[in-house]
Amino acid sequence: MASLTLEKLGKTFGKLRAVGDVDLAIADGEIIGLLGSSGCGKTSTLRMIAGFERISEGTVRIGDRPVNLLPVAARNVAMAFEGYSLYPPLTVAENIAFGLKRRFAKAEVGRKVAEIARLLEIGDILEHYPSAISGGQQQRVSLARALVRQADVYLLDEPMSQLEPQLRAVLRVRIKDWLRRHRMTTVFVTHDQTEAIALADRIAVMDQGALQQFGTSADLLDRPVNLFVAGFVGEPPMNLIEAEVLRRDGRLALAALDRDGRTAFELMLPSAPAGKTIERMLEAGRRITIGFRPQSASLAVDDRRQGAGAPASLTIRGRVVSNEWLGDQSHVGIEAGGLFLIAVTDGRIALAEDGAVTLALRPEALHAFDRETGRALIHGGSIAEAARHAA
Amino acid sequence: MAFIELDDIAKSFGSKPALDGVSLAIERGETLAVFGPSGVGKTVLLRLLAGIMEPDRGDIRIGGASLLGVPPERREVAMAFQNFALYPHLTAFENIASPLRARQLDETQMKRRVGEIASLLRIDHVLDHLPRALSNGQKQRTALARSLVRAPAVLLLDDPLRNVDAKLRYEMRLELPRLFKRFGSTALYVTQDYREAMALGDRIAILLDHRLRQLGTPAEIYNHPADQRVARLFGDPPINLLPARVEASGGGATVRLFGQTLALRHRPVPAASGWDCLVGIRPEDVELSSEPIDGTAPFRLRATTPFSVRTALLLAGADGGELIASTTNPPAAETLWARFDLGRAVLFDAATGTAL
Repeated sequence: MASLTLEKLGKTFGKLRAVGDVDLAIADGEIIGLLGSSGCGKTSTLRMIAGFERISEGTVRIGDRPVNLLPVAARNVAMAFEGYSLYPPLTVAENIAFGLKRRFAKAEVGRKVAEIARLLEIGDILEHYPSAISGGQQQRVSLARALVRQADVYLLDEPMSQLEPQLRAVLRVRIKDWLRRHRMTTVFVTHDQTEAIALADRIAVMDQGALQQFGTSADLLDRPVNLFVAGFVGEPPMNLIEAEVLRRDGRLALAALDRDGRTAFELMLPSAPAGKTIERMLEAGRRITIGFRPQSASLAVDDRRQGAGAPASLTIRGRVVSNEWLGDQSHVGIEAGGLFLIAVTDGRIALAEDGAVTLALRPEALHAFDRETGRALIHGGSIAEAARHAA
Repeated sequence: MAFIELDDIAKSFGSKPALDGVSLAIERGETLAVFGPSGVGKTVLLRLLAGIMEPDRGDIRIGGASLLGVPPERREVAMAFQNFALYPHLTAFENIASPLRARQLDETQMKRRVGEIASLLRIDHVLDHLPRALSNGQKQRTALARSLVRAPAVLLLDDPLRNVDAKLRYEMRLELPRLFKRFGSTALYVTQDYREAMALGDRIAILLDHRLRQLGTPAEIYNHPADQRVARLFGDPPINLLPARVEASGGGATVRLFGQTLALRHRPVPAASGWDCLVGIRPEDVELSSEPIDGTAPFRLRATTPFSVRTALLLAGADGGELIASTTNPPAAETLWARFDLGRAVLFDAATGTAL
């Protein structure tokens, strides 16, 4: 096991810059998810670490050792890549054992193969040949082969893309347990944020070849650095609303604007000491984008029973468009002054369609972004902090 | 008599069955979600209703009249596909209006109808744009408007949100029920996403192995799945299925799970002693504590994976058995005590998988 460092890593294909300026410092034993849509550069980044792709700019270090010029085999990385195929003449068990035979006694190899096969639920196909098993099984065999190897770094490309959702949900918790127990430095690529959040210690969000944010899932969810991350990470996505900053009775307020620029509703911010960051970031008259997560709003049928501790000024009144129970949670669609908002609650909530609803936000839940650059201006945590100072 | 009736429908392609003896009755104004894994025959079902193909066996009736032999254009049915295609040379307005032009509706009425649906779908500001000037979301809405504009009696939707980005998918999921109601359409909605089926379906028809396996409301399916396959298809993380043997005990029955003997409160009491079953426990029905409490078994916390409002925990019992729990408030401890309400558990026959 070793640390892994990417410094100003870049990849150009002819004139096209597929990846640029990616800096990642990954600690020994850390599990990292590269998350983004197709074409964002995540797979090219992984392929440069693996050595499948020549590095155009920057450096990849495994431990202290730059590996830019080393061939794949000399980098001591274990990989499960799509198309990094199984050996057809070997059985599933032999494929998994392939890299182990030189290092371990036969009994030990057998034990390791059985253990990983049980974990990935392929114990019943160990004697089959790759051509006789399904795509989902092949993917798990390839994953098993990588996970039993001894390597400095483990690289997994969409490791569960072929699996049915129920199996994926179970395997991702087991795989996380395995990586943790063996302290395996791991980088995996995924377009599935549920998988990234579930499996990774930290997530690198990429878009258009550039690293947008590198942090824990809590960082991405509570402190997204820009509108892209705010809208991309989190399901359902963050409610994002155009707004204008106002000053009302000496306090800052936010006027949410509908599509035609009319005020849909107003949110009064808790008072804060003058001259604080909030005042600097949110000067009156400025047009910004504000956001809050669907999970961060508490809902009530009327304003007498709003969420505990929420100041009355951070409430939105609306009408229930639909209330959909999904088993363990409910999604509620709300129309407020012509804007469509989504709220999520745990379990079931008694809210009738077309009924009046109040949506209460805690100051911590608010985010503000610059409309032009998309950069985050302020997160709710600092608004709440300032309010506590003022009080 | 139900509005739409499918009576013992069968369809195969060569020797490959697509649907095998499917009967369904759908009420007027109902939204029926058709759910199942890919290749199970969901799309074929829609095509049979649309008249794009005819069944090998069985009858299809709308409003009591058989549709067999009725050509697609004479059925009051509109179909919207996964890949919504728009006419590239027509504006959004003309795309939406095209089914009305085909019916020679007068201009004023047409403008009113298109305007109304465009405003409901929030695309009224882009009606004079060509498709290439529309965002993906606007294209999707335009195509949906086109299939809704003539207020078809029956609306067939084939996984319409599958290729849509998350923001739009969630918005549409929450808006579609209102649109269906507004246009009075009876809708069949095909999806592979159990959440979408639960969100949109008044009832859900589950197809497995080309047959109808269960038909029920989302609550019936989630709380009373017909078999362990259905149980596993609904829920994320999926339901725990714990192998156990039922033992008779003083007029009741018990199972041993994770080294604990627990009384079953199911009525009727599961048949005989020695019955091998799977005890189905939803992850959200597992109650966790960092202190031992009565009726709980100790578990080692193996992994924690956060998702949405909840966190999933992988727990290992003293006997090595695995249990997945999900909670909004995960206790921070290496050892946890878990209690589950066996009254909410579903019992399945271990051999057949069928629910008790």
